[in-house]
Amino acid sequence: MKKWIVIALTFVFVSSAIGVGFAMEPTGNDRKGKYTYRKVYKACMARGEVNSETPPVSPIAKTQAEWVRVFEAKDFAEFGCAPEWEALTDEDLLDIFTYLHNYAADSPAPATCK
Amino acid sequence: MKLIKAIKWTIGLTLLLAVGMGYASEKAAEPVAEDTSWQFHDIVDMEFVAQHVKIPMDENVMLIDARPRQTKYDSGHIPMAVSIPDTQFEKMTDRLPKDKNLLLIYYCEGLDCRLSHKSAKKAEALGYTNVKVFAEGYPKWISAKGHYPSVSVEWVKKQIDARTDMVLVDSRPRRTKYDAGHIPTAVSIPDSEFDKHIDLLPQDKDKLLVFYCEGFECKLSHKSAARAIEMGYTNVKVFSEGYPAWAAHLKSQGQAPVAVKAGKNEGSIDIAEFEKMVTEHPESIYLVDVRDPDEFATGSFKTAVNIPVDELEKKLDMLPTDKPVVFVCGTGARSGEAYYMVQDLRPAMKNVYYLDAGLTLKKDGSFVLKKLPE
Repeated sequence: MKKWIVIALTFVFVSSAIGVGFAMEPTGNDRKGKYTYRKVYKACMARGEVNSETPPVSPIAKTQAEWVRVFEAKDFAEFGCAPEWEALTDEDLLDIFTYLHNYAADSPAPATCK
Repeated sequence: MKLIKAIKWTIGLTLLLAVGMGYASEKAAEPVAEDTSWQFHDIVDMEFVAQHVKIPMDENVMLIDARPRQTKYDSGHIPMAVSIPDTQFEKMTDRLPKDKNLLLIYYCEGLDCRLSHKSAKKAEALGYTNVKVFAEGYPKWISAKGHYPSVSVEWVKKQIDARTDMVLVDSRPRRTKYDAGHIPTAVSIPDSEFDKHIDLLPQDKDKLLVFYCEGFECKLSHKSAARAIEMGYTNVKVFSEGYPAWAAHLKSQGQAPVAVKAGKNEGSIDIAEFEKMVTEHPESIYLVDVRDPDEFATGSFKTAVNIPVDELEKKLDMLPTDKPVVFVCGTGARSGEAYYMVQDLRPAMKNVYYLDAGLTLKKDGSFVLKKLPE
């Protein structure tokens, strides 16, 4: 019985740690995330879904908390280009999240234009 | 009486003179035997040479250009020939094969050129037993249809420095070779993809084309050169020694790859190291300012080139591999993006960095660096 409680608690701890991966201070690579984020739209434009390589949502479109919610829910509908988003690895998503979070509207260094 | 005697003497002398002159002119008309002692005893023709010019060269054969290097060999020689100018023979005997039974074929500038004969005699005196001279030499070789000259590393460097209007073609595989390092200004047209990239060749069929690949053992540049000649290009050359000779040449000129101290973050350059480099040896790195042209116009490093990050993907081939490439911008964001673009699209290119720092550039080229908050 005790063993099962330990396993259950471990599972809960690990699950929540994974779940809050986006909620904690971002640990990805924001430089790489910026490149990967833009690459999504280059590929999407090449496929013909969008007309511009420029990502439609800028980091300053949301606050850091809002970016956390988007990535926790993995709700990328507003970004379009679903096939490209689905093809991203967890590491890619963490890098993109780190980039968007670090340059969010309420971040110490909000993204200006680039 | 005296007058008659004088007339007789005059006639006699005139006759003697006439006979003498006749004899002399007869002697002049006789052909003078040509001195051929300067010629080597074993002369071969182009067919013989063509049999032995192979890529890679047969290990048992050495084709030797006895002409002066700078004025002749550098700008055009028979492919696979090595340069041992006759004037330098004694100093360069170490370039000759150790096995004295190997076939040595000497050539120079044609039938009137004695250099190859002189060298052949010297080689024979050293004990080489199988020495020949291709007396008709380079002029005969290059006049044959489909033949093209090979050029030296010094000649290639000179054309690049002089910005000669030419297309330098790297015929090696792109990912594994070209991306890892190529001669500046070279375009990548792997021989295996020649037809696919034919649009990279100039429309002007008289324009100078120079092909190279991985050295004397590599056939790719020769195959591509032959294709170009078939297509009608009239000014085709091959740099047979290829990229290995280029890298060795740079090293000999003291331009060995510069060691760069990496910074804390992946791909970044150490900030203090960067500051020292751009201040003391700005030519040692290839600086790319990836900001927009209007930002670049307000001031940048004097040695920086401006390739906005949005245009970089199309211009990745422009990046040199003979020195470190360092991307810079105002905050490290765009330069970091540029770095990861290279990692993604030219992964074999290892000598690339970005400046992960706050950077303010002034019109006069001066700058202020600021460490970014962690």
